[in-house]
Amino acid sequence: MTADSRVDVFERMRSLDETVARLAACAAGETPFQLLSGGTDLVVESHLAPPSSTVRPKRVLLDISSVPELSQIEDRGDMLRLGGGVTYLALRRDPVASRVPLLAAMAKDVGAIQIQARGTLAGNIATASPAADGVCGLFALDAVIGLRSAKGERTIPLVDLYEGYKKSKRRPDELIAWVDVRVPSPTAKWVWRKVGTRLAQAISKVALSAVVEIDDGKISRARFGMASVAPTTSALPSVRALLEGNAPGWIDLAAVERAVDADISPIDDVRSTSAYRRHVAKAITREFVRALSG
Amino acid sequence: MLELDVNGKKVNVDASPLARLLDVLRGPLGLTGTKEGCGEGECGSCTVLVDGVPMNACLVLVGQVEGKSVLTVEGLAVDGALPEHLNHLQRTFIDHGGAQCGICTPGMLVSAEALLRNVPKPSDDQIREAIAGNICRCTGYQRIVDAIRHAAELRGRDQ
Ligand SMILES: Cc1cc2nc3c(=O)[nH]c(=O)nc-3n(C[C@H](O)[C@H](O)[C@H](O)COP(=O)(O)OP(=O)(O)OC[C@H]3O[C@@H](n4cnc5c(N)ncnc54)[C@H](O)[C@@H]3O)c2cc1C
Ligand code: FES
Ligand code: FES
Repeated sequence: MTADSRVDVFERMRSLDETVARLAACAAGETPFQLLSGGTDLVVESHLAPPSSTVRPKRVLLDISSVPELSQIEDRGDMLRLGGGVTYLALRRDPVASRVPLLAAMAKDVGAIQIQARGTLAGNIATASPAADGVCGLFALDAVIGLRSAKGERTIPLVDLYEGYKKSKRRPDELIAWVDVRVPSPTAKWVWRKVGTRLAQAISKVALSAVVEIDDGKISRARFGMASVAPTTSALPSVRALLEGNAPGWIDLAAVERAVDADISPIDDVRSTSAYRRHVAKAITREFVRALSG
Repeated sequence: MLELDVNGKKVNVDASPLARLLDVLRGPLGLTGTKEGCGEGECGSCTVLVDGVPMNACLVLVGQVEGKSVLTVEGLAVDGALPEHLNHLQRTFIDHGGAQCGICTPGMLVSAEALLRNVPKPSDDQIREAIAGNICRCTGYQRIVDAIRHAAELRGRDQ
């Protein structure tokens, strides 16, 4: 812990309870504060900050990268509980996480191994980028997040967390302690598809995650996540409505494309154009739906 | 004072826990083998192993690795190996022309070391994936892949 009053303060948290107590104390005080986990968003942001920001007020960094409770992965039967500090590398290597292969498929596409070893699910969720791959993957798994604060714990379905571009319902004194995901039925059809400039280390131009369950020839459940096509991750609600209750072979693929069109509002930016994103979003969704009947 | 474990030795450094691991390695610890290319996690030239796992030292704050073991390219050397204490990877990088300007080399070696510890006989795809976070502007990668494959064979023979 540094004594210099101009520079940031670093505090290494040892447990969930300690973190929650420090968060509450920080939230009640004047000094800006931030949680630090893998640092793959936060340290980059600080590095890229313009020189003028060296005069920004000092802040307290609460390092949660070694809090043991946050890195646990628990098998709960029809659900998995993933600690907020679970890294992409853990999702790729953990035998319990392998019950949901979509998780490892998504994790393999994040950055490269150095980023996968550090970056965490909670960091991805908290950064709230519409390009977030972790969030996109979790959308198709009915993820519910557990927010811990000194006031207790509350849960929010991940699809309800975001209110707009990089805006979420999480309060600053709340820690993302865990993420529950539903284990799809073993016969479920799923896809993780990321389109970027190259295989490794590319931010998504568009990414799609989907899980579809079919019972008695009809789609009983369809869940989607799509990244980089709207101010927040999209759950493709119109596509879902079009699929559920219907037989896979009887779905009009042109209608699927129209539903995608209605659900997304992509923009032009440094990584891609609105037109290209619309084109790719429709193509990869149609491809997935077409394959359902095969 | 921070107590760190670097290349198997306990060291005490007078540094802010907020300093980047990269700066502490290159500065007070004098381990300039670890390079800075981008400072943003993109290029991998600062790759070190923390508890055996490759990470970008430009994105890790030194306070985050207290109590963990850090391995840098300097830690790859093998006492008594000829020539120059180089390990198999370091030798095959030279033999295959896997190092040209050398800026990416320490990071490549460390990423390759992590791979060979986990996967003794990697396929070319596994090699390419293991170094996907390491950018090289000189070699075109093929010579690096060849060097890593050859080092894996030599390691296999040693065992
Ligand atoms: C080279 C590079 C490549 C990348 N590639 C990808 C990619 O392909 N796909 C992708 O989606 N992302 C990518 N990222 C972004 C980043 O790696 C991810 O968003 C990662 O999941 C962030 O996690 P972290 O633990 O590093 O977060 P940190 O940087 O530690 O924190 C990020 C934010 O989350 C908050 N936070 C952290 N933990 C918690 C918690 N438990 N509760 C509440 N708030 C918390 C922090 O306060 C901070 O605001 C990349 C980054 C880099 C540098
Ligand atoms: S300097 Fe760390 S990744 Fe480029
Ligand atoms: S040898 Fe020059 S960048 Fe790789």
